[in-house]
Amino acid sequence: MQITINRDGQNYGPYPLEQVEQMLQAGQAQSTDLAHYEGAPDWVPLSQIPGIAQVDTTPAAPAIDAESYTPTGQHEHEFRIECKPDFSYLTVQVPGNQTLKVEASAMATMSTNMVMKTKMKGGLSRFLGGESLFINEFTAQGGPAEIGIAPGSPGDMDHVYLTAADEIFLQSSAYVASGMSVEVDSKWQGFKGFFSGEGLFLLRCTGQGDLWFNTYGAMIEVPVDGNYVVDTSHVVAFTGGLQYNVESVGGLKSLFLSGEGLVCRFHGHGKVWVQTRNPMAFANWTYPFRPTKDG
Amino acid sequence: MQIDVTHRPGNSAAKVTLQPGETITAEGGAMIAMSGHMQVETTTHKKGEGSIVGALKRLVSGESLFLNHFTPAGAPGEIFFGTALSGDMMEYNLNGPGLMVQGGSYVASAPSVNMDIQWQGFGKTLFSGESMFLIHLTGMGPVILNSFGAIYPIQVNGEYIVDTGHIVAFEESLTYEVSKAGKSWLSSFLGGEGLVCRFRGQGTVWCQSHNAGSFGAAIGPSLKPR
Repeated sequence: MQITINRDGQNYGPYPLEQVEQMLQAGQAQSTDLAHYEGAPDWVPLSQIPGIAQVDTTPAAPAIDAESYTPTGQHEHEFRIECKPDFSYLTVQVPGNQTLKVEASAMATMSTNMVMKTKMKGGLSRFLGGESLFINEFTAQGGPAEIGIAPGSPGDMDHVYLTAADEIFLQSSAYVASGMSVEVDSKWQGFKGFFSGEGLFLLRCTGQGDLWFNTYGAMIEVPVDGNYVVDTSHVVAFTGGLQYNVESVGGLKSLFLSGEGLVCRFHGHGKVWVQTRNPMAFANWTYPFRPTKDG
Repeated sequence: MQIDVTHRPGNSAAKVTLQPGETITAEGGAMIAMSGHMQVETTTHKKGEGSIVGALKRLVSGESLFLNHFTPAGAPGEIFFGTALSGDMMEYNLNGPGLMVQGGSYVASAPSVNMDIQWQGFGKTLFSGESMFLIHLTGMGPVILNSFGAIYPIQVNGEYIVDTGHIVAFEESLTYEVSKAGKSWLSSFLGGEGLVCRFRGQGTVWCQSHNAGSFGAAIGPSLKPR
């Protein structure tokens, strides 16, 4: 295949495919340059020529994109989120004699004057159902202290500063940490969730202060105005004021055959946070690799 | 139809924006999120053939691929696709020669892309229980593929060997032959390099940096027996 390249109205070539690849690698050609080959209907960007497809001419991103985030907007505690977006890790500065709520087992590092107390949210019935959330309280005794928090799943993390008017619903596994004046409630009026067989276990976060939550995979923020559908296992969080229904994607046939499971249909005006990976899908993927009982 | 691969390379998702009446076809289970007015239809890869029971039988025997067809009704709509494993995604525009895609790497395609599952070579020679098959894509239009780990292209000119677990896709201008990596079956399996694909001709093979089967084998012994 002989490819002609056009840049700024000037034609170059034609070149064989291999040479164009080399030119791309060397930066002599850009994937956005227009290109044409014999028989092609139109000039298209070089990246769309078959065979060239995805040669990325931009410098390769480092394996770990150590992007660091410090709050620019309103916040209660000083904090930073490092190694975003793939391996987000949170460090919070807690002033002397103040307390921070943290998801159980998420503490990775802390100052020696940090003192921990365990609390359980959701009660015993939820605990037996395997859907309880333990929250540990970390108090900076006698002076300021620092705590490093690593969520169980590798992924992204977001921070929201709640005011009295706000309400955020979190999928329970997304909870990372919050300030003491943020109420994290697993039982509330009108709760439709795990026990109604809808596969969602939600936490209602209200009050005032910092709230951190994480994803498995990348985080996508979707503004909802009207009607939006999210696979239940990919729901991370959503703003109060959005109504939701749990349903199957298509008809009955789709429920069994589509492989999509249940979805959450949101109505109203607000925001939904979605994760690009899903722990359940990964767990299902491991099934064929599990040993069999009879060896 | 506008396709954007976001959050590359580790946690990639594909965002597809559709005009009213446009359709994207995706592998069952790939949808993460979508506009509320998206219409969904489920079929096997052979649209309009056979009953649900027949389709189910083919699913159980691993002969079929369930597809969902998404079409926004009345207004433009968007849809996000994701995968179970971490890794990258790429968009490929079919424009003439066809593409052979490793079964697990297919995410979605335009309806103008035809799909055919091919078993010969792979299905018969693989006895490790992995469901390895190739999807033959022909026609015109965009295709979305995913990888476990990073994707890298290899230009084959002559002959080249790729482990079957590392293949994402290849151009059909290449001929291929599945064979054992070593001289004997014993050395191939003891060496951990079970089957390889030997490519001949001129064309591109897209490879994935990680082998999902190897990852599964690495974590399998730590999992509860089924």
